[in-house]
Amino acid sequence: MSDPISLRGMIPHLALPLALAVMLTGFSAVEPRSLSAGNLLNVLEQSSYLIVFTLAQTVVLLTRGFDLSVGMAASAVSVAAALAAVSAGPAAGLAVALLLAGAVGLLNGTVVALLRVNPFVATLGMLNICLGLASTLSGGRPVTGVPEGLTTLFYSGTVLGIPAPVLIAALCSLGLALLLHRTVFGRSLYLTGGNPRAAEVAGVRVRATLIGAYTLCALLAGLGAVMLTARTGSGEPSLGGSLTLESIAAAVIGGVSLRGGSGGVTGAVLGAVFVTALSNGMNLTRVDGNVQMIVLGVVVVAAVALDRFRDSR
Amino acid sequence: MTDSHNGGFSPGPAGPGDGAPPLLMLSGIGKRFGGVRALGDASLTLTAGSVHVLLGENGAGKSTLINIIAGTFGPDAGSYCLDGQAVRGLTPHRARQAGISAVFQEFSLAPNLTVEENLFLGRERHRLGVLDRRAMRARAQAVLDDLGFDISPRQRTGDLSRAHQQMVEIAKALMDPVKVLILDEPTASLTEAETERLFALVDRLRAEGVGIIYVSHRLREIIRLADRITVLRDGCTITSIDAAGVTEDGLVELMTGRRMDALYPQIPHDPGAALLELSGLTLANRTVEDVSLIARAGEITGIAGLVGCGKSEVIRAVYGLETLNGGEIRLKGQPYRPSGPARALAAGVCYFPSDRVAEGLALGRPIRENASMAALDRQKGVVRRGQERSFIKATMDRLRLRPANIERAVGTLSGGNRQKVMLARGLTRPTQVFLFDEPTVGIDVGAKAEVYDFLRDLVRDGAAVVLVSSDLPEVLHLSNRLYVMHRGHIAAELTGADITEAQVLACFFQEDAA
Repeated sequence: MSDPISLRGMIPHLALPLALAVMLTGFSAVEPRSLSAGNLLNVLEQSSYLIVFTLAQTVVLLTRGFDLSVGMAASAVSVAAALAAVSAGPAAGLAVALLLAGAVGLLNGTVVALLRVNPFVATLGMLNICLGLASTLSGGRPVTGVPEGLTTLFYSGTVLGIPAPVLIAALCSLGLALLLHRTVFGRSLYLTGGNPRAAEVAGVRVRATLIGAYTLCALLAGLGAVMLTARTGSGEPSLGGSLTLESIAAAVIGGVSLRGGSGGVTGAVLGAVFVTALSNGMNLTRVDGNVQMIVLGVVVVAAVALDRFRDSR
Repeated sequence: MTDSHNGGFSPGPAGPGDGAPPLLMLSGIGKRFGGVRALGDASLTLTAGSVHVLLGENGAGKSTLINIIAGTFGPDAGSYCLDGQAVRGLTPHRARQAGISAVFQEFSLAPNLTVEENLFLGRERHRLGVLDRRAMRARAQAVLDDLGFDISPRQRTGDLSRAHQQMVEIAKALMDPVKVLILDEPTASLTEAETERLFALVDRLRAEGVGIIYVSHRLREIIRLADRITVLRDGCTITSIDAAGVTEDGLVELMTGRRMDALYPQIPHDPGAALLELSGLTLANRTVEDVSLIARAGEITGIAGLVGCGKSEVIRAVYGLETLNGGEIRLKGQPYRPSGPARALAAGVCYFPSDRVAEGLALGRPIRENASMAALDRQKGVVRRGQERSFIKATMDRLRLRPANIERAVGTLSGGNRQKVMLARGLTRPTQVFLFDEPTVGIDVGAKAEVYDFLRDLVRDGAAVVLVSSDLPEVLHLSNRLYVMHRGHIAAELTGADITEAQVLACFFQEDAA
């Protein structure tokens, strides 16, 4: 980390692609289709969604926080946006998604930054609020009949043959990378996570940075929710189930530190592809759904343990 | 474990010499961390009943060597003998059992436990698994009394001052019989009186036959305590000499190869307008009461005082890090209400915290980002990386950062280099008032000289510099006007020829008597 050019510095960047290759080879031994071009493209496309959520999570992880409400916020946004889109058209759906996600993030950020509530508690509370909201709005049933405009824009449409979700994920990645490395806000995220007290003493606007981070996180999660809503064609109250855990796992696997101030877009994207490839492989090799949940749980804990190990060296 | 307290720290009397093997003998010790060589060829021979000072600039390998002695990590090369026996596979735990105890600069105390709980941490006394609190409290009290430390065993450690925490740390190291005691800059946060008590303790342990390895940058205490001095430079033992007859000048030369008179530069004081005026400043927590002072452009205004006298709090308050209760601050003639660092920086005031790890730097981030941290608001939303890199590179070159790679994480740097990264802050934005809080604490002589040069340059360029320091020679040599603080009040303002050690000390004692 100290010397970006040395081979030693490269190892963390090579380890994940290597692990991915090993895992894919392993799955292909059981199910040869795993390595087919078609399936690899499929994995890439499927990753788009998790990439967006992982980017969202990464923004707050960088500040030494995390957001447990990402998944449930996605559920609430999905339901609310679908309801609005069904009754008043795609534009209304998008507007509602933007407003709701923005409100969730702003609230998270305010509670963490101004009321100084631990992010764990703040976003756990928000998780429950979103859960209640999603269930109330939907009555526990999917909101069907999402207009085609929305599905085309966020799911089935293509630009130069590139599927919309892939394009959106790519744009988000690029945008976030620029934001992190080229803007004062991005730099403030790293410094705030690196040492919040020192950042404050040096005049960095730590509280504004935190509010911005949680808001951006929720907005990205809201975008992810719209993408998933477009894919299923319905607003799903159960959309967010495992997304929080998966997004944290993917980010940490991708080298974003839970102790803040280190990590980046490349790692987050690779981490998301890794987690998606893992579940794709398990699907193809017919691993039971419940077992998959166990595997994901193990992977999350292992990733965090690895994060500790990385730091202690 | 022995429970006697009169001379109960050492396992048995052991005199130096008499043909007995030295207590501790290390030779040809080498240690690498990744690609970095921390030690090349370090040697040290410690005899029982002596104080052995380890001298060297930051990065010379002192802390690596004492960590090897304490078993924190093993050497890659060389031999380690304790009592004439070769030692292998040492761990901190085994080192403690063998009578090697260390007090490091980084405290090992749990802040939310009481003093006695910390003293017995990991070796709690119990009866059938139930903690024997009474026995522990009695023993803790006995040890603290014996050391002459005025601390209650029941106090929460986190509520103690840094100086008192340091005492607890020392007491902890002496809970079990000790043969070799390692003290790493033990006086860094102690007051003069506490320091004297520590020295008395060191003298006593020496008389009891304990071998003491003492690391310090403070020349006076080295001369006061040392029996032998081993000099490390670039990871190698340069020389090991008898301490008798050694002078401060001699020590500086040994350590750096340069002369002492070069340490404090001539400061071209030329007092101009009063840039910072405090009148009747009182803090909400009462650490500062009714303080009035002036800092002028073109001079260094010193604030001296014992640890805990409120001198740091005065400048922290100006920067917006403390809550005011009353009084007035004028900045460049205009009334100023502190409301936090961002506002102060924008008004041309920069504060350099004494605790660089807690308040100064983001250790995991590169030098470049840390150096430009205080000037982020001047980049209108977008960071121009190329510009930033060349600007910070030039700034760090000016501050003589070595090695000059500005992409290294700050956490990999020595104390002196970390301080330089912080100083860069003052050069990245227009600043007229510089508030330094213990700017040379924990840094070596070479870096100290460079910090002083930096202050001189600031003064020459017409800045108002306020220097808060517990290092008396430092404030005496550098200040044009010196305020002496005592228990939250200004006890005296000294100028010109009145700035002498005797005058400053007189202020402390006169106040105490009153």
